[in-house]
Amino acid sequence: MRYFVTIGEKEMEVELGPGEIRVDGDEVLADLVELDGSEVHSLLLGQSSHRILVARNGTGDWALHMSGRHLRARVVDERTRAIRELTPVKEGSGNAKALRAPMPGLVVEVAVQVGEEVVAGQGLVIVEAMKMENELKSEGKGRISKIFVEPGQIVEKGEVLVEFEAPGDPEKGSEG
Amino acid sequence: MFDTLLIANRGEIAVRVIRACREMDIRSVAIFSEADRRALHVLEADEAYCVGPPPSAESYLRIDRILEVAEKAGAQAIHPGYGFLAERAPFSRAVKEAGLVFVGPSPETIEAMGDKTEARRRMQAAGVPIVPGVTETISSPDAAGEIAQEIGFPVLLKATAGGGGKGMRIVQDPADLPRAFEAAGREAQAAFGDGSVYLERFLDAPRHIEIQVMGDRFGRVLHFGERECSIQRRHQKLIEEAPSPVVTPDLRGEMGAAAVRAAEAVDYLGAGTVEFLFKDGEFFFLEMNTRLQVEHPVTELVYGVDLVDLQLRVAAGEPLTLEQEALVPTGHSIECRITSEDPHQGFLPSTGRIDHLRLPGGPGVRWDGGIINGFEVGLHYDPLLGKLIVHAPSRGAAIRRMARALDEMVVRGVETCIPFHRKVMDERDFRDGNLSIQYLEEHPHLMDGEEEEDILRAAAATVAILQEKERNRLRITPVSGGESPGFSAWKRAGRPFSGRR
Repeated sequence: MRYFVTIGEKEMEVELGPGEIRVDGDEVLADLVELDGSEVHSLLLGQSSHRILVARNGTGDWALHMSGRHLRARVVDERTRAIRELTPVKEGSGNAKALRAPMPGLVVEVAVQVGEEVVAGQGLVIVEAMKMENELKSEGKGRISKIFVEPGQIVEKGEVLVEFEAPGDPEKGSEG
Repeated sequence: MFDTLLIANRGEIAVRVIRACREMDIRSVAIFSEADRRALHVLEADEAYCVGPPPSAESYLRIDRILEVAEKAGAQAIHPGYGFLAERAPFSRAVKEAGLVFVGPSPETIEAMGDKTEARRRMQAAGVPIVPGVTETISSPDAAGEIAQEIGFPVLLKATAGGGGKGMRIVQDPADLPRAFEAAGREAQAAFGDGSVYLERFLDAPRHIEIQVMGDRFGRVLHFGERECSIQRRHQKLIEEAPSPVVTPDLRGEMGAAAVRAAEAVDYLGAGTVEFLFKDGEFFFLEMNTRLQVEHPVTELVYGVDLVDLQLRVAAGEPLTLEQEALVPTGHSIECRITSEDPHQGFLPSTGRIDHLRLPGGPGVRWDGGIINGFEVGLHYDPLLGKLIVHAPSRGAAIRRMARALDEMVVRGVETCIPFHRKVMDERDFRDGNLSIQYLEEHPHLMDGEEEEDILRAAAATVAILQEKERNRLRITPVSGGESPGFSAWKRAGRPFSGRR
């Protein structure tokens, strides 16, 4: 069975055959054992030894800690991938983009108003976390269509703070 | 010597002080907020008292409650650690008035050095070189604008009551000044309860080099050489080392003498640090921190001293018995601050429960930590989890030792800055000792998540094997039909790649 493993930007192909393994086409010997009950695995890839702490996170991805790194890996086998490719992808909801809180924290200031035109790099919301203020900036041009937070409010990671429409969005008129 | 000491702090520094207490036969009393019931400093102390809800203002900053606990526990002295109340004169004064010993300088000394503008005036008078700028607090954005025009952009806005990078802003463009002035004031107000700020010229890419001093009750002040702390992010130090790669024995003597003059000018008692900016062979007084520093261990390792032990001794009235001439650094020490921040996402704070902790060991490795398996890292306090410190005969050996120790270390449950530190240890300018406080801006690739090929291949092989094992486990349970042709999970069982459990 072939597996496609994605770590960060990079995708690798791993083929598991009887007693052999190919990583991106190169054949190597692989022996993976777990230290019982510890989630610590020892991988011998060829003769090179790796100590790897492995866990599965909530979304089904793998989380690996090895050599001072923390890697997140997504793996899909060839058949699952083939099935997915046949399934149509749902379209997103238009141009509206959102500013999400990149970390949990306290909203200190909302620097924009509904209806305001903003440019890339413009500060939108200041969120304080661990006593440092972080200015969250606009990733692009747009017009603020909705603001979901106010100063003093605690927000969770990933929470939508501000929603905006891309420039020249025809269906949104002069509301706000 | 005291028989009971209260530690008015949390995290790694509270644990550090408790360790010194254990070695000195002093009973340690911890305080904690409701968020810290399971924190390491509570577990390690001889006694522990809850002083309030999670927000610092309602717990670790409550002078009244801390003094109540001190009385109840029969403590004769209070160690403030760093941060929180460590540099607040009213606390030092209240401790004194309660008839207890404050492990640190007098309220007058803290006031003189804590007011950064007064400190600049005093240092100028004592003949310690200072950075060009004002020696007064600035009242309005307009006033800031005028002064900035005079001394020239870029300028640095700083909290009068400040430290640790909070309430600090570099302003390159006059148009940004009003906004930066307000932000700095607001951050200063939140962090120190005092929103006033001042201005000085911003030196381009200097080094940050500081001198450790210690004063006793007999007016004697010693210095313990320098620490180089140039690798910073938003004025928060990330990596510190001793000695500095650019400080010669002569320069050490010169900077040390200036630091001793600075301390003597304010009748210094206890451990303190005189911070300098260093550029082209010249050094300028930045500020004095009237407390123990986060990075004190690198000094301890190269000078072979225990600074917390010395702090407690001079606080108890013992004289310093060391001789300045005998204080010579041996070898090289590096410290990496391990914080719950994700270097691949602009050092965003990360929260979560630590569910796996593997600490490095071996020759020359020291861990000063404040975490334990099962501890919940929340948002209420500083993201510092602990400090990894190494000592080796040379700078090169210390760098290799740190790289090795970082490779051994595993913290799971929160993102940490370990990957950043690991990359710095391989980086050319760091290895060559070419440092400045602009180091991070000049080396942005240290923050990207790109990994080496062999690591990626090993990771990919591991997850593919585990995924296949999981598939096989699911398929071995009897299912009727639906099995695809050409794949037999049974035959694969026990093959080398599938491993054993």
